[in-house]
Amino acid sequence: MVYAILLVSLLIGVPVAFAILAALFYFMGTGDFPYSIQGVATQLFAGMNSFSLLAIPLFILAGELMNESGITTRIIAFSKVMIGRVSGGLAHVNIWASVMFAGLSGSAVADTSALGRVFIPEMEKEGYPRDFAAALTAASSVIGPIIPPSIPVIIYALIVSGVSVPALFIAGIVPGLLLAVFLSLYVVFFASHYQKKPTQMPREQKVTILIDGIVPLLMPVFVIGSILLGVVTPTEAAAFAVAYALIVGVFIFRKIRLRDLPGIFSRTMVDSAVIMIVIGAVAAANWLLTFNRIPNLLTDWTLSLISTPWTFLIAVIALLLVVGLFLEGIAAMLVLVPILHPIAVQLGIDPVHFAIVVIFNLMIGLITPPMGLCLFVVDSIANVGMARLTRRILPLFAVQVGVLLLVAFVPAIVTTLPHLLGF
Amino acid sequence: MSRLYARLRASVIALLAFGAGLSMVLLFAIVLVNALMRYFLGSSLAWGGQLPIFLGIYGVMFGIALAYLQDRHIRLGLVVDALPRALRERLFLLVDVSVIVLGGTLAVAGLRFVESRGSMRVSGMTGIADSLSTSTGLSLFKALGTLAPYQFAMVIGGVLLLLAGILRLIDRLTMDHTATTTPSEGGI
Amino acid sequence: QTIRFAHVDPDSWQNSKKGAAAAMFKAAVESRSDDLKVELYPAGALGGEDETVQQAMDGMTQVVMISGAMSKVCPAAGVLDIPFMFNTASQAWQVLDGDFGNALAQHCLDQTGLRTLGYGETGFRNFTNNDHPIHSPADMEGLKFRVQDIPLYVELVKSLGGEPAPIPWSETPTALSTGVVDGQENPVSTIYNNNLHELQKYMTLDRHVYATDFLLINEQFFQSLSPEDQAIVEEAGKLAGNMGRSIQEFTAANGLLAVQKAGMEVYTPTPEELEQFRDKAQPPVVKLLRNDLGDEGNWIDKLQQAVDSTTQKDAS
Ligand code: NA
Ligand code: NA
Repeated sequence: MVYAILLVSLLIGVPVAFAILAALFYFMGTGDFPYSIQGVATQLFAGMNSFSLLAIPLFILAGELMNESGITTRIIAFSKVMIGRVSGGLAHVNIWASVMFAGLSGSAVADTSALGRVFIPEMEKEGYPRDFAAALTAASSVIGPIIPPSIPVIIYALIVSGVSVPALFIAGIVPGLLLAVFLSLYVVFFASHYQKKPTQMPREQKVTILIDGIVPLLMPVFVIGSILLGVVTPTEAAAFAVAYALIVGVFIFRKIRLRDLPGIFSRTMVDSAVIMIVIGAVAAANWLLTFNRIPNLLTDWTLSLISTPWTFLIAVIALLLVVGLFLEGIAAMLVLVPILHPIAVQLGIDPVHFAIVVIFNLMIGLITPPMGLCLFVVDSIANVGMARLTRRILPLFAVQVGVLLLVAFVPAIVTTLPHLLGF
Repeated sequence: MSRLYARLRASVIALLAFGAGLSMVLLFAIVLVNALMRYFLGSSLAWGGQLPIFLGIYGVMFGIALAYLQDRHIRLGLVVDALPRALRERLFLLVDVSVIVLGGTLAVAGLRFVESRGSMRVSGMTGIADSLSTSTGLSLFKALGTLAPYQFAMVIGGVLLLLAGILRLIDRLTMDHTATTTPSEGGI
Repeated sequence: QTIRFAHVDPDSWQNSKKGAAAAMFKAAVESRSDDLKVELYPAGALGGEDETVQQAMDGMTQVVMISGAMSKVCPAAGVLDIPFMFNTASQAWQVLDGDFGNALAQHCLDQTGLRTLGYGETGFRNFTNNDHPIHSPADMEGLKFRVQDIPLYVELVKSLGGEPAPIPWSETPTALSTGVVDGQENPVSTIYNNNLHELQKYMTLDRHVYATDFLLINEQFFQSLSPEDQAIVEEAGKLAGNMGRSIQEFTAANGLLAVQKAGMEVYTPTPEELEQFRDKAQPPVVKLLRNDLGDEGNWIDKLQQAVDSTTQKDAS
């Protein structure tokens, strides 16, 4: 009956968080003591009662303010000048603008909506199919949470004590860049022919754009620097990012009017609420599973089947790819990381390496139907329909899985940089 | 009637947006000021860690109700969106009803939660609660040092969700499609 | 019947104090009772201390072992955190296992519906930092210390001249490694088990607060047991508390050797320096507590009397 409630609610279109809560209410409300509906409220509250989770609204707000302040458009213009002239130019610009954006923003979803609104119409104008432009935007925004700062990294470190956020931040840089390189290679081989007219621009305009890019590009220096120099914790750094975008938008670029701010604040909170309520509901469900010792059983069962790190990594990748189809990434982390991390440690896998593999893996889920947040966002901009979008996403998805396997089986890609920097 | 309803609907939305936006700006300001104070003055706010979390929880509770009114929640659209429109509209009536039930249940569960566990002290908040109650002479402020006022977010969230569900149901029953079928604007 | 036992420490009896207490409780109960089973939920599986203690109060779980959260449900227990109240662990045991401990247990039972089965220990807390050795309070000037989000600890660090920064435990290693804070304060066993010595160069064994573990059982459940089982559970609780204390002392001693071997510089203050610490920290914290406890402020005096009587006994 519990599963029936969950499944039917999901299928008729009840929001995912509410479907989970409804199933929990039924289970806790009809079961014997110690279960009671009060327990659902308790665990929902407990699931959201964490300082690290504040990274979500704060980073989403930072992203929103970057769009409103003109930081986003300047970064896009900047990347256009830098890489616009290679063949397949605008597609590459899309990918590398995502990389620059990744350095400012902690959330893939914020990146998608910012870049999508600019790139989808513009790429279409230059000859790319609309659905390809949308798919590429979604795919490249996966880079966002892999390169620091990153909401999923902060949450991961919250779940697993003893893995430090700065180490994970540094560890994500090379895999993120690698993903961008491979997406660019895909464009070179399979998508350059779409572009009809490459972008041309007078020299003076280029110089202006490059100069205009300075203030936006100082933002990652400011945000990441404030973490590494010990001014703020990673969660507080999100508030610094907000302050930077706010000051630039209101006082330097003067694009944000004070009377726009209330709307921005409430819109951001609603967008965050949509994600945080899923996290809270999943945390509540997770508590119930733990109370019934399901994770212990799963761990024992896994360890009885798997004894080498490599088979474990393959199993984890396969599992997370499937889970990523259906579950939002942070929620999936909350359920699975407490089970998977101890096994990984027991098998001798480097915790930082494992963390990046898991995060990378789940972020790919952002672009896979039926539950892919970034896909939803680009579709709401491009309006091409999930079916067409899915067809376009498939090869890009394959590229991402390829890079993931590379990152998983060549740990040095992840661990070298943090080691060099003394983490 | 319908004008009255439209005004009611608009004021509910305004209230939800106000609640969500206010918690957002306050939590941002506290986190920022607290970090700056610690770095530059070497003293941070005793409540700088706890209060933003509670504000965030309140923000989520206002946010989920507004998101439901604007159809911005994460849901599996694959099956429903493929159905013919008439059938889909009827299914959505069912969704509204379940959200109304869920909101009511959450409010009741939240109330019991507050009753049984509200008295626990929040260590980060006791200082400001004590000083507020001594400086104003109102012992009411003492409650800010306990969990009850923050757990109450669950009750508010349930009631707001119930309200949002009712509004959507009325929208659909009166066939006001402009209000119900607006596609989500890529916010998330 | 199943007893669900939750705590937030690792599930190992060799180097985890609550893990050891839990293992002892389980073994003692299951070996002596025919119908009682103990299921352990270690490592915060069911939530943090605040949540697990409430679950025990609601009867969802039956037994819980907590430290800092106790004063949130039974404020009088906060008096045990008065800095420099105890000189040695054995002195604290004498007080907790004597009349004072019994009276506090009764008081907290009335207030929370949780019966104290035994007292374990989290251990004496010490300051560490990454800047320079601390010999006396004067050396704490200008250093930022991560503290728990508890007014008593904020006041303690402030009164010693340091800069207190409440930061969640989960963010503490990161904050220490990037230098958001210069130092922190915890028992040696906690410092060593969480590898904080790798992030901190100096430790001062000032032993400012003796932190207690409380082993608690839901009273309604306890009363539902047969008299034989009640006796078994009570005895198991005492054994578990002592096991927790022993393993805590053991890991603290081993940890102290290990952190020094790993290169940490450890300083033991002289009696005169300790006197300076006490004189600076105790009065303001006691004032804060008295203000906070209101009518229950007499617990401060009760504790002071209990401690004084042990000192006299030791002296005679
Ligand atoms: Na990023
Ligand atoms: Na997905």
